[in-house]
Amino acid sequence: MQFAKKAVLVTAATLALAAAVPSTAAAQSRTPRDTLVMAYNIDAILTMDPAQVGEVVTDEIIRNVCDSLVAYDRQDPSRLVPNLAERWESSEDGLTYTFHLRRGLKHPSGNPVTAQDAAWSIHRVLHLGFGNAAQFTQWGLEKDKVEQQVRALDDHTLQVTVPEPWPINLFMYVFAGRQGFILDRKTIEPHIARRTDGTPDWGNGWLKTNLACIGPFRLARWTANDTVILERQPSWWRGEVPLRRVIIRHVVESAAQRLQLERGDIDIARDLNGEDTAAVDANQNLQLNTTLRHQLYYFGANMQHPILGKDEVRMAMRYLIDYQGLERTTLRYAGKAWNSFAPQGAFGALPPERGVAYRLDLDKAREHLARAGHADGFTVRLIHGTPFPSSDVAQHFQANAAKVGIRVEIEQMASGQLFSRMRDRNYELSFLAWAPGYPDADANATRHVFNPDNRPEARQTMFLSWRASFDRPWFNDMVQRARLERDETKRREMYYEIQERFMREGPFLYTLQSYRQLAMRRDVQGIIHHAFEVSYHGVRKQ
Amino acid sequence: MAPDGTAGAAPAVARVAEAAAPSGRAGRLLREGGRQAAAVAISLFGLLAITFFIGRLLPLDPVVAIIGDDAPQSTYDMVFKELGLDRPLWEQFALYVAKVAQGDFGNALNTSNRVADDLRRVFPATVELATVALIISLLLGIPFGVIAAVHRGKLIDHLVRVLGLIGYSAPTFWLGLMGLVVFYAMLGWVGGPGRVGIAYIDLIEPRTGLLLIDSLLENEPEMFWSAVEHIILPASILGYASTAYIARMTRSFMLEQLSQEYVITARVKGLSRARVVWRHAFPNIMVQLVTVIALAYAFLLEGAVLTETVFAWPGFGRYLTLGLLSGDMNVVLACTLLVGLTFIVLNLISDVLYRLLDPRTR
Repeated sequence: MQFAKKAVLVTAATLALAAAVPSTAAAQSRTPRDTLVMAYNIDAILTMDPAQVGEVVTDEIIRNVCDSLVAYDRQDPSRLVPNLAERWESSEDGLTYTFHLRRGLKHPSGNPVTAQDAAWSIHRVLHLGFGNAAQFTQWGLEKDKVEQQVRALDDHTLQVTVPEPWPINLFMYVFAGRQGFILDRKTIEPHIARRTDGTPDWGNGWLKTNLACIGPFRLARWTANDTVILERQPSWWRGEVPLRRVIIRHVVESAAQRLQLERGDIDIARDLNGEDTAAVDANQNLQLNTTLRHQLYYFGANMQHPILGKDEVRMAMRYLIDYQGLERTTLRYAGKAWNSFAPQGAFGALPPERGVAYRLDLDKAREHLARAGHADGFTVRLIHGTPFPSSDVAQHFQANAAKVGIRVEIEQMASGQLFSRMRDRNYELSFLAWAPGYPDADANATRHVFNPDNRPEARQTMFLSWRASFDRPWFNDMVQRARLERDETKRREMYYEIQERFMREGPFLYTLQSYRQLAMRRDVQGIIHHAFEVSYHGVRKQ
Repeated sequence: MAPDGTAGAAPAVARVAEAAAPSGRAGRLLREGGRQAAAVAISLFGLLAITFFIGRLLPLDPVVAIIGDDAPQSTYDMVFKELGLDRPLWEQFALYVAKVAQGDFGNALNTSNRVADDLRRVFPATVELATVALIISLLLGIPFGVIAAVHRGKLIDHLVRVLGLIGYSAPTFWLGLMGLVVFYAMLGWVGGPGRVGIAYIDLIEPRTGLLLIDSLLENEPEMFWSAVEHIILPASILGYASTAYIARMTRSFMLEQLSQEYVITARVKGLSRARVVWRHAFPNIMVQLVTVIALAYAFLLEGAVLTETVFAWPGFGRYLTLGLLSGDMNVVLACTLLVGLTFIVLNLISDVLYRLLDPRTR
């Protein structure tokens, strides 16, 4: 018994001591002044090649390494400002665009930045044909014609010809994305390899782990699932970069990230869950920096399903989610309620009061179910992936649906499996996230609403509308007309009309638009982030 | 000695009870060696085949993992062909085996590196963690087990049992987080997640891949201490479960010995209890312990996904899990082979130790 008593005493003393210590340890940051250390889940990085990159995390990193032809305005990303191209103009007929590159720019290798580099960088995106190629093909640029459509007139002039007179602002977004980077062709060319079928790989193999382009940082090292290290580019054209290094450490666990942030072993934590974000919000030594992204969470119904295919049934389901309640509680730091396909902040998005059209209303849900002939409810299978807040929202929906007699069977799966099911139209109801490529209602209108060919064998898998078998002529026609409307006021009105009708008839139940939360030490200043980028080049630690 | 069956995953336990001396003749040894090598090759091949075909039955699509959710069907088809997935299954398997025979394990989809290069990076991280964990569990587990056996039924015995039960049943994930909260965040006694502090990342080129050794080889004592600070907590957490296992096995082996007549004789002769326990009884359980330890080590070397996740440890367990989740068969197959090999090598080592420790085999 003596021993047991002693053990209890020792334990109690240790815990008391532990509780007394924290206030002293957490005060100052312990990372070097000229180094930014960030904890981030970097599992998703597969490659650094801008032509292939599709994940949010890699896009953020390579944007800090490579500059694009035009840039998003920092205050309002739906507007564009000059970057590597100092100006551009469009011809009278709207079919020819001319970019004038800044003079005297040099790649880190010392090679001059030329219009030939820019043309080649675009050609390779189309020839490689990964998801990013769609950013060009949707405007009528084609793999087989791209050498004529995109060409350098001289070292500093790039000319792009398109088959239709697109609204200039709309078309220009493509050059602000990663597909508009100017790569260092001369450095990459010696690394071009042959694929198994004998065709050149356009440097895709080498660019998996390397980058060669003009920008504020250079990619010093990427160790998969471990670290990414960026080092300052000594003579960046826009001026001195205060940070010497950026170290991104692969940390998956939210709690582990938070502890490191509180201890000052990292400067920024990127993957905190709601609880840990709230703790950061309440901590004097830390700051929370929030931006609304354009990513949308949505339930997607398969229109081939005999019950879900009915508009009244989907209308009933729209009243089964407590959007406002979720926004205030579970998803307080994750996002805000939004019911339309055009995210808030995009050109053509509905004004806030019209963009949230639904609320939890079980009576209305019952009413619509009865009208559809399913007053007794039905059973439906819901599939979703693992990232937060998928299972929270899925269970929330399940609980409300049960109250009106809809039995929801939930199945959670790895994202690879989930995407396969979607691409094969092999699902009833799904919960997923989607982020558009540019801040314009057109971006989602063309993927969610417009359906180029609904036949199963057409396999238009990149169109969410095809995956949902949603195919209605009025919508197809309106979306196509809107993207040719050069009058901005008219174009905006057209999107309003499409959105309000799509909210009633569409296959998707948009639930919320997500936030990006940067949980940071107090001394980190000057980070620029908006819906489409997070830039480290202006960061200083005070 | 029971020489056959060494190639399987866990034959070591079966061998514990047997103790026949092998003949010393060279010819017989050679034949035995040949037979063992053949058994190893066959079981590795079997392992490969089973993993390959099970992998192909999984509803995972490696193509989507590469091209993303947003690519058109034409790209999908191109990559599908590039990966050789359009060929018949047996042909894919034959091609794969032919490549493996030449030491080529292909590329990993998740990392874009050659799988062999990735393994050279992640496996040492796990070896380092597992070895420190094993050392911790030996230092604690064996004395605890012996003490518990000697004081059978007393408070200390119960205490060891309760601690052992907690070690078995407490979720590693929770233990890891609690450990971080107390020892890292509150007390600041140990380093946080990761293998070394920020200042030492990329400081040296890996030689063995074991940071504790590389840092000493490169004469970087500060980096060495940073690595020690970072490994001590995850290794303790990981070692806890095997401490419990080793303590329990030690206890039961010891109990068996303590009830033997030679122990009573020694006590009657007037030897001290400590001498009887540590000099007479304990050496007799060494042979059995070696098998238990080898098995515990092998399990540690498989990698611990949860520990690696909580402590951001870039090890083998996470690598394999990520490969599995994205349907990356190159990774899964190479990892399975490596685990199989680990078991086989540890088995061979325990065989050798067995001969050294058991005087009857000399």
